[in-house]
Parts: sequence; C-alpha cells; structure tokens
Amino acid sequence: MKRDKIRTGTVLRLLAFAVLLAFLLAPDRFAGLLTPLTNNGAPAIYNQGTLLDLTLSHLFTVGLSTVAAAIVAIGLAIFVTRPAGAEFLALSRAIVNIGQTFPPVAVLALSVPIMGFGEGPTRMALFLYGLLPIFENTLVGLSTLPPAVVETASAMGMTGRQRLLKVELPLAMPLIVEGIRLSTVIGLATATIGSTVAAKGLGEVIVAGLLSNNLAFIVQGGVITGVLAVLISDGFEALAHRMAKRRGASSEARQSDPDGQGSSA
Amino acid sequence: MIELSHLTKVYGDTAVVNDVNMEIEAGTITVIVGTSGSGKSTLLRMVNRLVEPTEGRVFLEGNDVSTMPPHELRRSIGYAIQNHGLFPHWTVARNIATVPMLLGWDRRKVDARVEELMELFQLDHAQFANRYPHELSGGQQQRVGVARAMAAKPALLLMDEPFGALDPIIRSKAQTDLKAIQRRTGTTILLVTHDMAEAVHLGDRIAVMDGGLLKQYAPAADILARPADAFVDDLIGSADRPFRYLTLGRVRAAVEPGVAEGAPLAADASLYEGLGELLWSGRDAAPVIDDAGAPLGRVSLVGIAERAARPK
Ligand SMILES: Nc1ncnc2c1ncn2[C@@H]1O[C@H](COP(=O)(O)OP(=O)(O)OP(=O)(O)O)[C@@H](O)[C@H]1O
Ligand SMILES: [Mg+2]
Repeated sequence: MKRDKIRTGTVLRLLAFAVLLAFLLAPDRFAGLLTPLTNNGAPAIYNQGTLLDLTLSHLFTVGLSTVAAAIVAIGLAIFVTRPAGAEFLALSRAIVNIGQTFPPVAVLALSVPIMGFGEGPTRMALFLYGLLPIFENTLVGLSTLPPAVVETASAMGMTGRQRLLKVELPLAMPLIVEGIRLSTVIGLATATIGSTVAAKGLGEVIVAGLLSNNLAFIVQGGVITGVLAVLISDGFEALAHRMAKRRGASSEARQSDPDGQGSSA
Repeated sequence: MIELSHLTKVYGDTAVVNDVNMEIEAGTITVIVGTSGSGKSTLLRMVNRLVEPTEGRVFLEGNDVSTMPPHELRRSIGYAIQNHGLFPHWTVARNIATVPMLLGWDRRKVDARVEELMELFQLDHAQFANRYPHELSGGQQQRVGVARAMAAKPALLLMDEPFGALDPIIRSKAQTDLKAIQRRTGTTILLVTHDMAEAVHLGDRIAVMDGGLLKQYAPAADILARPADAFVDDLIGSADRPFRYLTLGRVRAAVEPGVAEGAPLAADASLYEGLGELLWSGRDAAPVIDDAGAPLGRVSLVGIAERAARPK
C-alpha cells in the first residue's frame, strides 16, 4: 500500500515536470487556457521575452546564490565546530541571523546604489537569505553526532581533517541537504522580487501582470515558480531521505516521517 | 612493555586518576576493575592520548607516548568500547578496514585482512561484509568493533567494557573467544570492566581501582587469595570467593589415581565446572579424560574442595 502511494507521488511529479516543460517550450499552445483571465484583448502569454529564458535565468540566479551561501555557511559551521573556532560560535550565529532578519526588499534597496540595477542586488539578497538555514542545519548536524562515533574516529587514528571529511560531514549530510533545500525554496520565491530592480527572472512576468492588470501573466509567473519550488524541494528531500535511510538513521533522526513529506524546518 | 609512571589526571580539583604506577607485560591480558567513577576509563584513555595526563608518563616499549604524534600512536593501538562506535555510514567491511586504510595498505592486502578477521570472529563474509551496522545484532556489532580494533595487528589493544552491552550467554562466549584469539595472536590487552567475574575469567593480572587510586595490582589468584584491603575484599564478594577461585584452576590439577563411575570430565575444564558437574550428578568423584579421550584418573569432591580453600 505504501509502495502504491510512493508510486502515485512519483507519477504526479513526473507529470508536473512534463507539463511544465511543455508549457515552457511551447507556451502558445496553452494560450487558450489562459485567455479567460485576460481582458480587453491583452496577450495571454508573456511576450517581452521567452518564458524558458526567464525560467533559466531565475534558476541560475537562485542556483548561484545558493551555492555561494552553501559554501560560506558550511565553511562557517565547520569552523565554529572546531576547537579553534569555538569562540566564534555565538558571533557567527548573530551575524547569520541578522542576514535573515533583513527584509529582502531592504537588501535590494540598499545594494542598488552600490551594485547598480540588475542581477547583482538580487544575488546578494538571496545569498544573505540562504545563509541561515544552511548554517543552522550544518551546525546541528555537526554538533549532534553520536559522541562514541566521533571519539572512535579519533581513537582509530584519524587526523582532525580525516575525521571531518570521512565521518562528521558524511553523517551530517542529510541535515545539510535539508538546509540547502530550505534555502533553495526560499530563494526561488524571493528571487521574484528581484525584477523590481531589473533582474531577469520569473518575477518580471508577475510584475508585468500587476502593472498591466493582466491576471494571466500573474498566474503563469506564479505557477511556474511554485511548480519549480515543489519539484526541486522534493528532489532534495528524496536525496536527504535516501542518505539517512542507508545508514538506518531514518527511524531515529527523522522522527516518524513515513512518506518523507514532513516539513522538518 | 607498557609502563605507567606516576600517572595522574586532575579534573577541577579532584584527581580522578591519582599517581598510578603499573608495568604491563607484553602478551598478557590485564583487567582494570573497579566501581563506577573510579577512573578506569580515564586511565585507559591516557594510554592512547584521548586524555592527556596532568602528571606522569606512559611508556610503550620504552617510548614516551607524549612524544609521538597522537594519530600515529593511535593507529598502532587497537581501541574497542562498549557501544562499539561503529561508523553508521560504512559497511561492516569498510568499518573493519578503517585503520589499515588509514595506514595506506594496498587494496588487496586490506581485503584479505578483512576476510581473515571476519572468519576469526565468525561473521560470514558473504552474508555480512556489505551490511551496515544497523543491520546487525548487538553481539555482531560488538564483534565487528573488536575486529576493527585488531585490523592492523596492533601489539596493544585497549578495551573499555567491550562486553558491557551483551546478554550473559553471548558475553561469556565473547570472553572465551577473546581469550582464545589473544592466546593465538599474542596481543597485549588492557581491558576495563566493573564485573569481577569477567576480570577473573580474562585477566592474567588484575588491577583494582578505587577513587582514582590503584588499590592492588596482582595475578588473579593473588587478588582472590590475598585482597589488599577491605575494598578489594568487598569487590570480590565473600560468598563468591571460593567459586571464583575454582574458575582459575583446571580439573587436570586435581586429578588423583583411581576410577569413578559415570560421564567423564575433560582435563581442561575448570574446577568450577567440575564441581558443578559432580554436585548436579550427585557423585563423589568422576573419571577424567584428556583431549584425546585417554583416561587420566579421577577427580573427587574432596579434592576440589581442598582447592577452594584459602591458600595458606
Ligand atoms: N572530561 C571530564 N571532565 C570532568 N570530569 C570527568 C571527565 N571525564 C571523567 N570525569 C570524571 O572522572 C571520574 C572518573 O571517570 P571515568 O570515566 O574514568 O570512570 P570509570 O571508572 O570509567 O567509570 P564507569 O565504570 O562508570 O565507566 C568520574 O567522576 C567522572 O565524572
Ligand atoms: Mg568507564
């Protein structure tokens, strides 16, 4: 029965992906569906650039910022969990938290004078936003490892570096992936506001819809972003789940989450 | 081969290990026994520098361990603990291969060693090599833990309550197996337990610790016969003492000429087992045979009882 449920989920995801792809490659074929949402003969499909291009730019901006955030956040979390960096733990937590409490619009407004219009400010905002979930998750992952396992790693004669690379990071990986997933999902949504400072992305479609009062634009921009977020999030979740399961941690670390759909933030 | 000299560890203002001096002979099993919190684990962990002594030194083959790089020192010393500390993301084979891989052995040599050890510890290679630790029973995990500790053929093996989590039957088998393996490999073992029976069963010498102090360090028979003070006496348990003492002797030593009725006893069985068999079968004496089944004579209740009395 459980297997059936998983299959249905996979089929639905594949279907969503196929429809999304078809829509991006040939949006005009779907125009009929969206026309009822327009008025005064306005176009049903966004026409200031191809949707495929915008989607790819959107993904690229999010991907780039998240990768940068992951490198910095994981690096920082590793540093503050080493004996040498322990005293910076509180400080780095504070800094990363500030990054998160800054409203994205404020980051955009503040960085435009410095970086000018375009992708720069958006990437900066997404980067700052991506730091916290990855940092916190990596920190939890690295500091809640079973003490007996970490100690035996040393007792077997691993150097600090070997212990980190061979034992600590692999064991913390499901949580780290979970952090990256959160950052990516937040980033996909937040990136839409980047269009207000002329970053290329799906926000452009939504903003155009708002300005010209075209509901069809708003819907297509929103739905593409939403479907992308769900698919990517599911992908990360499946990855984290598989890593945790292989070493039998699924039952302990992720409590009663039979379908792997839980939202462990 | 191991010398502990004035070894002391102070936490806060308590010396949890207090000026301990010990010399441990190569190729023997030394058991450190004592109540909880007496400093046994701390003492053990100073040998491979998981804990750095406040004072005193540890010498291995005459070399001061504080002068060796910790990771190199630890690769040369096996270490096994109660909750085994197996790496959950590695298979059984990869776990056992940990130290050989760190030492950079070549692939084929590592694989051969893993197979050899799995056979030694009665873990079927085809069945278990590719399993993850959570797919094993507690007893199997424990054997993998000990196999991993012995993988690079360390001359010295440190064990901290290695059998603590096992049920009594598996535990007793694990002890017997360990002793047999140790006799075959000649590994020096330093083992911590708070079980006096385990100490007597395994230990060539026993070190009794209390409140950070080494109370007595002597062969098992001496500890039983001549406890140094009331604490050691207590730890042995006065009611159990004669029986513990009998576990140390072999039936062979109590053989007398003559014949007896009933099932024979093996000459290598312990006097404790011999006594149990005589009492349960309601006999005063039983025949004794050697490994090949040849009769050696007989053993009697009186003969065993004499050997359970406090030595003069
Ligand atoms: N890192 C530490 N910091 C402070 N105190 C410690 C530390 N490690 C051990 N102790 C203390 O040292 C004492 C001895 O601890 P140890 O672990 O050596 O005891 P043990 O004899 O192995 O006990 P058990 O049989 O319960 O394992 C205990 O009182 C313990 O609380
Ligand atoms: Mg202990």
